[in-house]
Amino acid sequence: METLSSLIMIFIGAALINNFVLHYFVGICPFLGVSKRVDTAFGMGLAVIFVILIASTLSWLFTFFILRPMAPIPVWIWQVAGGNPETTVDLSVLSYIIYIFVIASSVQFVEMYVRKFQPALYESFGVFLPLITTNCAILFACLEIMKNLQDPTMLWGLHEALILALGGGIGFLIAITLMAGIRAELDLCDVPKSLKGAGIALIVAGIMAMAFMGFTGMDRGVEQALSALGSR
Amino acid sequence: MADQPTASERFIQGILPENPVYRQLLGMCPTLAVTNGMKPAMTMVGATAFVLIMSNILVALIRGLLKPHLRILVFTLTIATFVTIADRFLGAYMYEMSKELGPYVPLIIVNCLIISRAEVCASKQSLGTAVADAAGMSLGFGLALASIATVREILGAGTWFGMAVLGSGWPAWGIMVLPPGAFLVLGLLLGGVNWFDDRRKRLAVTASE
Amino acid sequence: MSETPETNETLPAGENQPADESLPAGGPPEKKSYIGQAWLVILLAFFFGSVLALVQTTLGPKIAENKRNETYSVIPTLVPGSDRDMTEEVVVEGHNGRQIRLYKAIATDGSHLGWVIPARGQGFADVIEVLIGQSVDLSRITGMYVLAQKETPGLGDYIRGDDFLQRYKDKSTDTPLVVVKADPRQENEILSLTGATISSEAVTNILNSALENLKGKLEAHNGSIAAPEK
Repeated sequence: METLSSLIMIFIGAALINNFVLHYFVGICPFLGVSKRVDTAFGMGLAVIFVILIASTLSWLFTFFILRPMAPIPVWIWQVAGGNPETTVDLSVLSYIIYIFVIASSVQFVEMYVRKFQPALYESFGVFLPLITTNCAILFACLEIMKNLQDPTMLWGLHEALILALGGGIGFLIAITLMAGIRAELDLCDVPKSLKGAGIALIVAGIMAMAFMGFTGMDRGVEQALSALGSR
Repeated sequence: MADQPTASERFIQGILPENPVYRQLLGMCPTLAVTNGMKPAMTMVGATAFVLIMSNILVALIRGLLKPHLRILVFTLTIATFVTIADRFLGAYMYEMSKELGPYVPLIIVNCLIISRAEVCASKQSLGTAVADAAGMSLGFGLALASIATVREILGAGTWFGMAVLGSGWPAWGIMVLPPGAFLVLGLLLGGVNWFDDRRKRLAVTASE
Repeated sequence: MSETPETNETLPAGENQPADESLPAGGPPEKKSYIGQAWLVILLAFFFGSVLALVQTTLGPKIAENKRNETYSVIPTLVPGSDRDMTEEVVVEGHNGRQIRLYKAIATDGSHLGWVIPARGQGFADVIEVLIGQSVDLSRITGMYVLAQKETPGLGDYIRGDDFLQRYKDKSTDTPLVVVKADPRQENEILSLTGATISSEAVTNILNSALENLKGKLEAHNGSIAAPEK
């Protein structure tokens, strides 16, 4: 129960309360650029969820086994090489480089796989895949996982990392789909000429961010409800 | 290559005519995330400028050796390395600030501004032009962030660079330093820049007639 | 992110191709040219690798020291009478199965004065990290400090202020603390900040669950140490 409720907290936190787009401002470029039509926005959101899950799994594996302080593999190599066992072995300086390559290669592989084996799926979101490499949301998820893995008091497991990634991805999907819905309606409105395009989109995003602030504190209510359920 | 802009043109273009934030809409993530105060915004500009200038220098130096299909790989490797250096430097000498900026320093890696400058300018033009281009773009990026951060910090906290500006009677508009304020201020400033630009163009047309 | 977001939708797939190295090894038709193509990348990787190693060896210890200083410099205020340089670090496993690094606050004469417990939890806006100063038997709060928070400026961020943190001082923690909006009467009641009830409750909950998590885990580590030789 303890674990389940902490997982639900992570999920709600990433998807709604600290929404990746509207609270942390990651993934703004596709959020503004690919939100003109609801179906393309939805496809982009799905592609992000797909890639974020794969990249997070890989970066969790890399961080857990290689990149965190005193990670098992470098420590083993260090000791086999005859290094002093007391030394702190820490390769975290390489984290950023490894993450960006993990993201770039997982995007590439996902694209090749989907194009070859799932042509129908490729039709719906394949075109967005190359754009995702530079989507900060993916790197941001990897960095959050790194932060929680390098701290020995947290030491996230793979399930926690995946829930964070899923929550972040779904938060992105919600935000971009809502945005596309609003922008479709905005086409019929008389927007001042100088605000057309990105300007009005940013103002709409500001109002959405205010609305999403309403979710703050929601986690506490859910937590209380869960603990009431658990104690019954 | 005759039609490539010269060093001084690149420098001037980066500041206003091709301003990375207001014109090209690049690097939106730090633009919104760290502009709740002047101090974090200027630290971010410094870190970005360091990465941009260093990677432009390096890419310009090796531009003759670049294989076309490997160039993005080289750019990414270069940028990620310089970002790591900037991040460690901040952690060592400006610890408080590096804690406040948090993940936004490593996120410079995916700031399209840097990779687009490497692609558009540094991989095609000489070292001097690349440096001028990076400096101009950094200045433009700095000006844009400063404008947003100024509005947000003064309205949101009544201070500028932490110094009291509006006096203690100012009811700080908390929303300005919160995420919604970032979107609203950037949206309105962008509208203002567009309006001003349209007006100037209109005036130029009337004048030429 | 792409140059002009307006044109993203029409961008053909492949225009923005990332790292080509991720292509399978059998990709290039001529195997011989593979090294010929990639020598620059390999050379750069070695160059950057050594630069980073240099950066890490020079700046790494400084960063670690900064992190350590942040906690160590407040220990004497969290457990009055303790000495910063005498602090010992103790790692215990809490009831939730995770390891926790605690700071054992020790006076200059070697006597054990209390504990400093790092704790964290979700606040109103983001995660709040606090340091809790506790008496030796974990029954009384001797001080509080907020390490990191992103609460609403002008409202929730007053949780950092002494004014608020003093409300916790000398409270008994035998029963969990509760937040009240006005007029605290009971020993375990904390007056919340005006307009920031959720932030106040968050700090209190973080404190309660951190102490709950450590109940009965520290007895083995209690006890004074020998005074240092002068």
